[in-house]
Amino acid sequence: MSETQTEERHRDSTGAGDSDSTPALEMEGVRKVYEVADEEVVALDHADLTLASDEIVALVGPSGSGKTTLCSIAGGILSPTEGKVVVGGKDISGYSAKQLTRFRRESVGFVFQTVNLIPFLTARENLLVVDEISSRDRKRANQRADQLLEELGLADRARNLPSQLSGGQKQRVAIGRSLMNEPALVLFDEPTSALDTKLGDQMVELIRDEMKSRGTAAIIVTHDERITGYADRTVHITDGRLEA
Amino acid sequence: MFLALKEMRRAKVRFGLLISAIGLLVLLILAQQAIQTGLITAFIGAIERQSAPVLVYSVDGQRTLQGSIITPPLEKKIRSTEGIEKSGRIGQGTFTVKVNDDSGNSDAAIIGYTDPALGAPDQLTTGRLPDRPGEAVGSDSDFSLGDRVTVLGPGGQTRGTETIEIVGLAGNAQLQVTPTLFVEWPDYVASVTSANPDAGGVLPSAIGAAPVPGMDPATLAGRINDSSLEADALTRQAAADETPGVAEVRQSFQVIFLLFGLVVPLVTGLFFLIITLQKSASLTLLRAIGARSSLLVRSLMFQVVLVIGGGLAVGIALYTPLSQAQLGDIKLSFDLRAVVLWSVLLLVLGLLSAIVSARRVLKIDPIEATTGEGGR
Amino acid sequence: MSLALKELRRRPGRFGVATVILTLIAILLMFLGGLLDGLTAGNTGAIRAQQADLIVYSATSQDSLVRSRIEPQQEKRVAAVEGVSEVGELGSVQLGGRIEGKGPRDLVPVVLFGYEAASQGLPEPPTEPGEAWADDTLQAEGVKQGDVIRVGPTRSPVKVTGFVSDTRYAGQSTLWASLETWRRVQNENRPDARVAPGVSQALVVQAPGANAAELATRIDEATGGGTSSLTESEAINALPGVAAQQSVFNQIIGLTVLIAIIVVALFFALITVERIGLYGVLKALGAGSGTLFAGVLLQAVIVTVIACAVGAVAALALDAVIPVGSIPFVASGARLLGSTVFLLVAALVGCAFSLRRVLKVDPAQAIGGGQ
Repeated sequence: MSETQTEERHRDSTGAGDSDSTPALEMEGVRKVYEVADEEVVALDHADLTLASDEIVALVGPSGSGKTTLCSIAGGILSPTEGKVVVGGKDISGYSAKQLTRFRRESVGFVFQTVNLIPFLTARENLLVVDEISSRDRKRANQRADQLLEELGLADRARNLPSQLSGGQKQRVAIGRSLMNEPALVLFDEPTSALDTKLGDQMVELIRDEMKSRGTAAIIVTHDERITGYADRTVHITDGRLEA
Repeated sequence: MFLALKEMRRAKVRFGLLISAIGLLVLLILAQQAIQTGLITAFIGAIERQSAPVLVYSVDGQRTLQGSIITPPLEKKIRSTEGIEKSGRIGQGTFTVKVNDDSGNSDAAIIGYTDPALGAPDQLTTGRLPDRPGEAVGSDSDFSLGDRVTVLGPGGQTRGTETIEIVGLAGNAQLQVTPTLFVEWPDYVASVTSANPDAGGVLPSAIGAAPVPGMDPATLAGRINDSSLEADALTRQAAADETPGVAEVRQSFQVIFLLFGLVVPLVTGLFFLIITLQKSASLTLLRAIGARSSLLVRSLMFQVVLVIGGGLAVGIALYTPLSQAQLGDIKLSFDLRAVVLWSVLLLVLGLLSAIVSARRVLKIDPIEATTGEGGR
Repeated sequence: MSLALKELRRRPGRFGVATVILTLIAILLMFLGGLLDGLTAGNTGAIRAQQADLIVYSATSQDSLVRSRIEPQQEKRVAAVEGVSEVGELGSVQLGGRIEGKGPRDLVPVVLFGYEAASQGLPEPPTEPGEAWADDTLQAEGVKQGDVIRVGPTRSPVKVTGFVSDTRYAGQSTLWASLETWRRVQNENRPDARVAPGVSQALVVQAPGANAAELATRIDEATGGGTSSLTESEAINALPGVAAQQSVFNQIIGLTVLIAIIVVALFFALITVERIGLYGVLKALGAGSGTLFAGVLLQAVIVTVIACAVGAVAALALDAVIPVGSIPFVASGARLLGSTVFLLVAALVGCAFSLRRVLKVDPAQAIGGGQ
């Protein structure tokens, strides 16, 4: 891909001024503590993590290690107990629930583990949901949805319901949805756990291609070591602590 | 029934809402039942209470005492019908009266009879029948023993007009939702002339008749009708039921009961269908670990009984104080038969409505627990 | 918003349950309302047709038409009161009517009115003696223009010159004749309640521009307390049974609306529970609670509107099918609309119940869902 095309893509990114300089994610000293029956449970302990604007990071750790918590905080679903979180240049550390909601709408993409497509919407409509809930430019959203479906090889599946799509196709619709709002950061939660080896490989290749071609940063949460080969960097997490 | 109760305890809101909805529906059904009975009794209680087994109106009276007049030729024809053991005059008028020293006036329907066995109330709640001029039996919802009722003259005067003392009370004895008095014939005539001094001879409104021993009242009524086209003879109960308006009231309420009665099984059945579908994953799991289908179905039915029973309890509890009250002019009463009837009907309908859910439970295949398809 | 609409369209079964139940409740409300309207119309038509500012009874009549007597001198005094522009006499007698073609015991209850003041509801009284306008409910009994109805034990003939609408009294059909005709029929058939010429049962008073309540007091003073003057609404309320019917029925209707609220709350709570997962995903994607809840409200409104539409159709069908005289039911647009409004309010209030649950949905549960 030529430099000019990459630059064009970067200019579309929300919150990014000069394409390469603003990190997609900066977490400093982030702690998340829960009160569970008079005891303090530390889900995340002094996490420091920085992602460049187009970096793909694999976040590897066993169940209960805090990787979901870290993703939730990076994605603006949870607020940290302590620490600073800056996503695409926006400091969301002290955001209220309402501000976080808006932030998620406009700046972040999610691909959940259990796909979670809306069962009564077609593939195309699932992509348009994001625009639906924020009532932005409908026309532009329509164009973007069609473009994404095309790029993801789903153009002929646009009118199908999730029940009519294969596991891999559903995953690709979810990826399309996560890119609709041109996010600074996309969070993938165990994207290959429901797929067999071959499909899983295809999926991660697709993810890498899509993210790289747009210069979008991504965190891929996984316990599958294969994925680390596709990421720029691997970060390990155990008991709420990151190891570089 | 451990599972059934546990589930209900964990989902208090939804079961609570359902029980309150059913409770209110039960309350409305029972209340309307009481209103229907009270309404009808307020109109024709006196007809059912008076003692004549056969009432003969004039055809033009359209089966109301107030509209009917028996002319002397008609009276003669009626009395001479074969099969009559005895007959007596019954007169009825509605008057403006003053009760005791009340500042305002009120209405009273006065029914006069020549023979106490043909026109006086057949049972009293207290006191006695009149045995002297100037005495009356009154409807117990409107009068007390010892009340003095004065009929007003045309100018509203009370001097020289008929005065009546209440010596007995009868229950469910109103006519046309009006306080009602039963008096002997001479007092009735005196009332009429007090209110309208220009009235000519006072004619009876109806003739009360009793059949000879061995003949039933319906047969006698038929004979009297055959003897004259002007006569409209009815048994006591028929006279009450066929008073204009009564049938209308009954029919209107039938539709109301039908509609309300349908809502209960519909709401119950659909509620249990939805929650059965929602917990099919848990049900599949239970079947996989060895619970029998019949156990799950019994658990469902148990919940239905609890829910409808609970609704009935709430509804009846609310209805009981209401049934002692008076709604305007209509007196309500606690109708045990209606309560029992509706309780049984609603329980049966509720159980029937849960059949669809039961079938869904029976269709569950335990193998689906392993494939993870158990959630619907 | 369109998300909520799409869900309704694509998953109608989920909402079918609530719709069916709400339809039944809508039919109930409309039937109860229609019954009340029918009873009221049947009782009050004659009075409303007068379109009078005041109705004047005699003081001792307990505001009952049949027991009231107004003498000519009283009438003169009433007419002389300042503010009164027109006074019309009114009289009535209730008799059984014999109609050609019906059996000898098959009488139709009618109330024969004698009147002199025309109004928008009533044309001028027939000039020919023995003629009368008939309420159009008599058409259901087979009466046609020109037919003669024989009323009362003396079979007084009354010829029907035409029909009028909505003039019933005490639930019965009515005939409207001149005062002379009425007096003659009354005296022939009710000798114990004769009326002399010039005597009537009530006066219909027109007093444009005057304060009716205040005029009523002045009229009663002018007649020395011999009259009881009522405004049209007071006269209607004084009719036997009217006030009681209104209050009883309104209480029943109120309770039914309460039941509707509970039922909507219940079934929408059940629907919401099923969609917790969906809400979690939407919230994670950045949908606000307000947006989600607005969707729920929209769905409730649409379901209710559909239920009321079906209910209205059922009510209109019922109106067409019910034979005149069996159940007093009228389906009026105002009542159907009113019932719809009640049910809409009930649906919105019932939904509010689920508001808390929608607010509580945690977007964090969408991530890591399934473990």
